[in-house]
Order: sequence, then structure tokens, then C-alpha cells
Amino acid sequence: MDNLANLLDGFAHVLTPMNLLFALLGVTIGTAVGVLPGIGPAMTVALLLPVTYGMEPAQAFIMFAGIFYGGMYGGSTTSILLNTPGESSSVVTAIEGNKMAKAGRAAQALATAAIGSFVAGTIATVLLVVVTPPVVRFAISLGAPDYFALMLLAFVSVTAVLGASRVRGFAALLLGLVIGVIGIDQSGQQRLTFGLPQLADGIDVVVVAVGIFAVGEALWIAAHLRRKAGEVIPVGRPWMGKQDWKRSWKPWLRGTAFGFPFGAVPAGGAEIPTFLSYVTEKKLSKHPEEFGRGAIEGVAGPEAANNASAAGTLVPMLAIGLPTNATAAVMLAAFEGYGIQPGPLLFTRESSLVWTLIASLFIGNLLLLVLNLPLAPAWARLLRIPRPYLYAGILFFASMGAYAVNAQPFDLFLLLALGLLGFGMRRFGLPILPLIVGIILGPRAELQGRRALQLSGGELHGLIGGWMSWLIYATIAVVLLWPLIGRYVVRPLRGRLVTA
Amino acid sequence: MTVLVGYVPSPLGEAALRAAIEQARFRDEPVLVVNTSRGDAYVDPRFAQEPDLDRVVRELVAAGVPHNVRQLMRGRDVAEEIVEIVEAEDVSLVVIGIRHRTPVGKLIMGSNAQEILLRVPCPVLAVKAD
Amino acid sequence: MSGRTTRPDRGGDQPSRPPAVPEIPAQPAPAAAPAATAGAERAEPGTPDGPAAAPDETDAADAGAEPAPKPDRAQYGVCAFLALVGGLVIFDATTRIGSAINTADPIGPKPVPILLGVLLLVIAAIYAVDVARGGAGEPEAGEDVDLTLPIDWRTVLLLIGAFLVNAVLIDRLGWVISGTILFWGSAYALGNRHYVRNLLIAVALSLITFYTFAIGLGVDLPAGVLQGIL
Repeated sequence: MDNLANLLDGFAHVLTPMNLLFALLGVTIGTAVGVLPGIGPAMTVALLLPVTYGMEPAQAFIMFAGIFYGGMYGGSTTSILLNTPGESSSVVTAIEGNKMAKAGRAAQALATAAIGSFVAGTIATVLLVVVTPPVVRFAISLGAPDYFALMLLAFVSVTAVLGASRVRGFAALLLGLVIGVIGIDQSGQQRLTFGLPQLADGIDVVVVAVGIFAVGEALWIAAHLRRKAGEVIPVGRPWMGKQDWKRSWKPWLRGTAFGFPFGAVPAGGAEIPTFLSYVTEKKLSKHPEEFGRGAIEGVAGPEAANNASAAGTLVPMLAIGLPTNATAAVMLAAFEGYGIQPGPLLFTRESSLVWTLIASLFIGNLLLLVLNLPLAPAWARLLRIPRPYLYAGILFFASMGAYAVNAQPFDLFLLLALGLLGFGMRRFGLPILPLIVGIILGPRAELQGRRALQLSGGELHGLIGGWMSWLIYATIAVVLLWPLIGRYVVRPLRGRLVTA
Repeated sequence: MTVLVGYVPSPLGEAALRAAIEQARFRDEPVLVVNTSRGDAYVDPRFAQEPDLDRVVRELVAAGVPHNVRQLMRGRDVAEEIVEIVEAEDVSLVVIGIRHRTPVGKLIMGSNAQEILLRVPCPVLAVKAD
Repeated sequence: MSGRTTRPDRGGDQPSRPPAVPEIPAQPAPAAAPAATAGAERAEPGTPDGPAAAPDETDAADAGAEPAPKPDRAQYGVCAFLALVGGLVIFDATTRIGSAINTADPIGPKPVPILLGVLLLVIAAIYAVDVARGGAGEPEAGEDVDLTLPIDWRTVLLLIGAFLVNAVLIDRLGWVISGTILFWGSAYALGNRHYVRNLLIAVALSLITFYTFAIGLGVDLPAGVLQGIL
């Protein structure tokens, strides 16, 4: 029970006053951000990256974990009280949650969302503790060729599975890979620096993340700023009756079961499991007639699912160094900012840091419950901030952070260029996730690929390692060829089944 | 000629509405209820929602006053909107609710009531909440 | 004139769903005001009444999914951009990167950029074919994004202006002044007209961030001309 001892150690680290303060700060910021519909957790972590440069890595990650979980919580408050999902993962919550609130059951809806998130977050974090070490053991056995294949799989899956258009996905991925190439490579050659000394170290990940997520998003929103004012449904202190508990606990558990695996799989995300959970609860409910009119199961399940998926995301990120969503990608960038390489070796090299991070997830979850149950009405007041201040503030903090990294105005011009790239991508429907994954994983994929080819003396067969790489290449082929497979294999088969 | 009332869903707004109805009966004119929001925050408590408007209409109908309710969300301040309506249409009286403001508060937040009082070309009736 | 109520269109009340989310049954119909009255007050001065309000009646979330009335030719610009980047990467790889072949690294720094450049050219071509066949990317939806509105270039350019002013002045005047200009200018660009209030907020934010960074985090933002005063 090595891990248990490690985890207890981690708790000991988190439970110092200073670290608890950072956890509290993280969940507070995270919830605020989750409540505000215009700002996502990926953007927040990006904006806070430079602030954390003066902190210990452990403190920074305690704070990021709080933001990550807090963002998931906060989204539900807005969904329920305003029918405005703060995050895309709370869209499903809004369906039943807002109906409940309109029917005068806002308190119960908020309570089942908060307690469900706590239950799911805690169970999923336990799963994280159980699942991650075996994954790490497995990952250690992988060689450079397998890693290279795994990163190709990450590229292909975030590009081809998500989003409507593969061409646009690959265009975004390639742009990200190109940005990742900029700077001095491992053999000491300058690539794509055009003689600019500021580019020799590559573009700082902070500048990239802030430029694409914060500046790009703020410009894009400013171009189409919506004018709309809703009304917050007044609510007292969230609470649940006996009947509500009875109807909620099973959806919480089922939602967790949906959320965790989807979070852990590349391109799984939080949207699909929340939707699946909703549909399942509707089918299993003893009160199907209430669905569409405010069924508590329809809030409990999806909310549990989205928090569980947040924990699931951390498994591949910590164990293999693979980000499966935008927030994880930015957190990975943060690791690199500290010179820490996520991946299997993280658990041996930075054991104390990792277990502190995991322990802080438990603590953050508890803090969120304490913070959210009594304070939901206070959070709703945040929605009165005029949008101009929100987006002016984002540009303000983005500039400050990007400047603070290297203290050179050059980075601000770079930031604007990246912001305009992000703006253009949003305008033309190029997905952001492949770009950011390309930037962060690209250099590492090149490193592993070149390492693999070193061993084979430059022969291409060096890219093929053990059975694992075969399996991964097969998966990549299936993902890439899925449209053809769908047309020539699945559809005829289905047709035959129907006629038979 | 019309009596224009700047309405907000609060005791202040209700007081203004009652005063406007009284004035409209006295002058034998219709009431134009105006409620606006800049629409730049996710939530604006001064923007009347369905139930508020229903209540306003019920009150107007009960009083037997011809009326027109208008909601605007065009990213402008209430003072600008009211001044524009008064200048464009045949308004005989503007009714608004006012409350106490500290000088600092006025400096920071600005005062819509003061804007309206100074800029509207017709008489203004300022009402306090009871 | 009796008993007439006009309200802004309420169609926006429904949460606009991001495209990645599957279609969800049992969504409420937007509580839209009657079509006849909704349009009347909504139209802004200068825009034609009536027809202009028509797109507002549709669910905002669906706006992006509707077939565009005419092909989005600006997309060819994206293809050109991708091809340009691809060409640039190949040019850089073939002319500027030195060849540092040694036995320890048989691949060297060149092949990866060349491969990326070629792939970019290929993608640019496929993209162009896709556009020619009528393919169009869906502009990113979002809670604060009203895709029924055209791009507001004035706001975007003003924001970029405020941003550039900050970038140019930050080392000369210092963060407190340039940051104040940035926040105030951005709020103005985004349509806020409370000049005094915005200035107070901007100054407060700049000062707080300046001292938090300098004292709390040990990261120095430039003091500029206020050196010695702050």
C-alpha cells in the first residue's frame, strides 16, 4: 500500500495553512470563472500561469486543481439559475435544472448539483488514485516508438474525432505543430526564428496559451458581443429533502461511471458523458413524465458526470503526459514551465508533488461543497458585471501576464499576433484544441520520433516498436478511415441486420 | 400627448407608475411605460421580466388608462433612450423615480435621474418610493 | 393606442449550444414575443424596419448551422495562409537551417519542418477543394457570441489599438499608466460610456496588479516614468 502512504503524505503537504489558502484561492477563482459564461477554465489557467511563476510548483498545482474542479461546479449554478450554461459541459444541466428553478425548486437543484459534484469528484479522484499507478507501470514499459505512436494517436483523435470538419482540424493541428517547431532544436539549429533573438527559445507556452485562449476569445466575442439581460431566479440556501436524496444518489453514481472513462480517453471530453447520463436517467426514471419539466435526476446525473470526467482527464495527463482537453493541455504547459516533464517518470521523480496535487483534489472538492452550498446566491451576483469590464479585464490580465514572463514588449506583439490567429480560427471554424495540443505535444513527439530513429540508425522501421505501437497504429488507421468504414462496412452490415 | 414613465421593477418604479397613472387620468392622456437595459451584463435587475410586465399591464388595465409598454435593449443608457423618445414623440410629462445618491456615488456611477432632469425638454415629475 | 406591449426579441434566452454537443430533445421553445411586435422596436436607427429583424426570430443557436446564403469566399484566404505558412516552413528548412548530421542524430533538424510544410500545402489544397464544393466552417458559438450580428470591426480595431498602445508604452510610461490606458480603452471600445468610473477602475486595477506582482510574487512590472513615486 505504497500509494496510500504516498497519498497520506500528500495530505500532510496540502494541510499547511499556506497551501490551504492556495486551494481556497483556486476554488474561489474557479467557481467565479465557472459562473461567468464568457470565461472558461482553460482561459483562466492560461491567464494565471504567469502569476504562479513566483510560487512553488506544488502551490501552483493546488491552485490549478481548484480552478479545474471549481469551473465545473460554477457552471451548474448559472445553468440552473439563469438557463445560461457557464461551460459547454453544463448545457445538459440547464435543461432540467432551469425548469426546476422556475418551478420553485432552485434550492434542490443547486443542492443536488453541488452534492452530486462532490460525490462524483471524490469517487473519481479515488479512481484516479487506483487507476493511475498501473497506467504508469504500463507506460514505463513503453519505448520511444510507442510514445511516438501514442502522440500521433493523440493528434489524430483530437483532430478527427472532435469537430465537424477534418480538413479544418488538421489545418489547426499543423499550424500548432509549426508553432511548436519555432526555436532552437535539440541539435542546436535555429528553426523558423528569422534571425529574431527573442524567438530562439521558442514561443513561451504562456504567451501561446494566453494569446489563443484569452486574447483570441476576447476579440472574437467583442466582434459579436451579445446584448441580453436575463433575470436570476431568487434562491435561498440550497437544501434537499429526503425524497430528493432518494432520487439523486443513483444518478450520481451512474453519472460518475459515465464521466470518468470518457474524461480519461483522448477526445472523450465532458459533453458526451453528460448527455449519455441524461438519456440514461430519463430511461430509468420512475418519473419519466417529469423530464422536460424539472426532474431532479436530470440534474444529478449530468452534474456528477461532468465532475467525474474532470478527474478522468487527469489520468492520461499525469501518467502519460497526454492532454485530452484544453484545460489539461494548459496545465501540461504549466508543468513544462517549471521544467517538470509529465509522464510515467513524474511519479518517481516528483512523487511528492504528484501526491500533493492528488490530495489537493480531495481537499478542493470539500472546499467547493462548503463554498457553494451556502454561497450560491452570492455567486449569482457576479452575473451583474457588465460584459465590457469582463473582456477589458481579460485583455488587461493577458497583457500583464504575457509581459511578466520575459519582461519584454516583444511578447506583447507576439501575443496580439497569436490572438489574431485565434480570432481567425474562430471565424473560420478551425478548432482550437488540435492547435494547442500540436504546440505542446509537437516538440515532444519530434523528440521521441528522433530518439526512435536514432536507435535504428535512421531507418523508418525504427518507428515501430512492440505490439503496443502496432495496436496504436491500427487505432489511428481506424480513426482516420472511419468515414470510409462507416460507409462501406457499418452501414451495409446494419442494412443486412435490418432486412434479416 | 402622452405621459411617459421610466419603469424599473422595484418599489421606486411602482411608485413612479402609480404617479404616472394618476397624471394620465388627470390630463386624460395615455401612458407610455418605458423599461430599458443596456443589455451588457448577464443579469440586469432593472430589466423587467414577464411577470413584472404582466403586473404593470394589469395595473394599467385596472386603472382604465390607455397604455403602451415599450422595452428597449440597444446598449444605451436609460437617459439617452428617454431623451430620444421625448424628442421624437409627443410627450407632455416624464415621470421618474429618484433616490438619494452620495456625491461620490454620483461621481462613480453617474446619475440617470439627473441626466433626465436636465436634458428632457418637457416637465419632469420626480417621485420617491413610499 | 391601448394595451400594446413591445419587447426586444426573446429568442436569445435559450442557451446557445456549442456544436460539439449532441442534439438534445425536449428543449423548450424560446419564449418569443409575437413576431409582429418583436421586430418593431428592435430595429436600430438606420437599419430598415421589419425585414432586418427577421433573422432574430430564429433560434440563435441554429444560426451557425443554417446553410450560408452565399459561399464564404474569405475561406480561400485561409487556404492561401496555410499554403504561405507551408512554403515559409519549407523555405526556412531548406535554406536557413544548417545541416548538422552526425551519427547520434541521423534525422537532424530538417525533415520535420519539411514534412510539416508539405502537409500544410496538401491540406491547403484539400481545404480549397472543400471550399469549392461548398464546405464552410462553423464560426465558434458561445454564450456571449451573437452570430446573427455581423463582425463589428470598429470594436475589434479599437481593441487592437488599445492593445498596441499598451505594448508600445509599457516600457516608456510604465505598467500603471499603460495598463490604465489598456483597460479604459478596451472598456470604451466594448461600448461602456462611464468614463469616470472606468478610469477609477482602471487605475485601481493597474495599481493593485503592480504592487501584487512586485511585492507578493517578486515579478517586476515596469514602473516607467512613475519610478520613485510608486
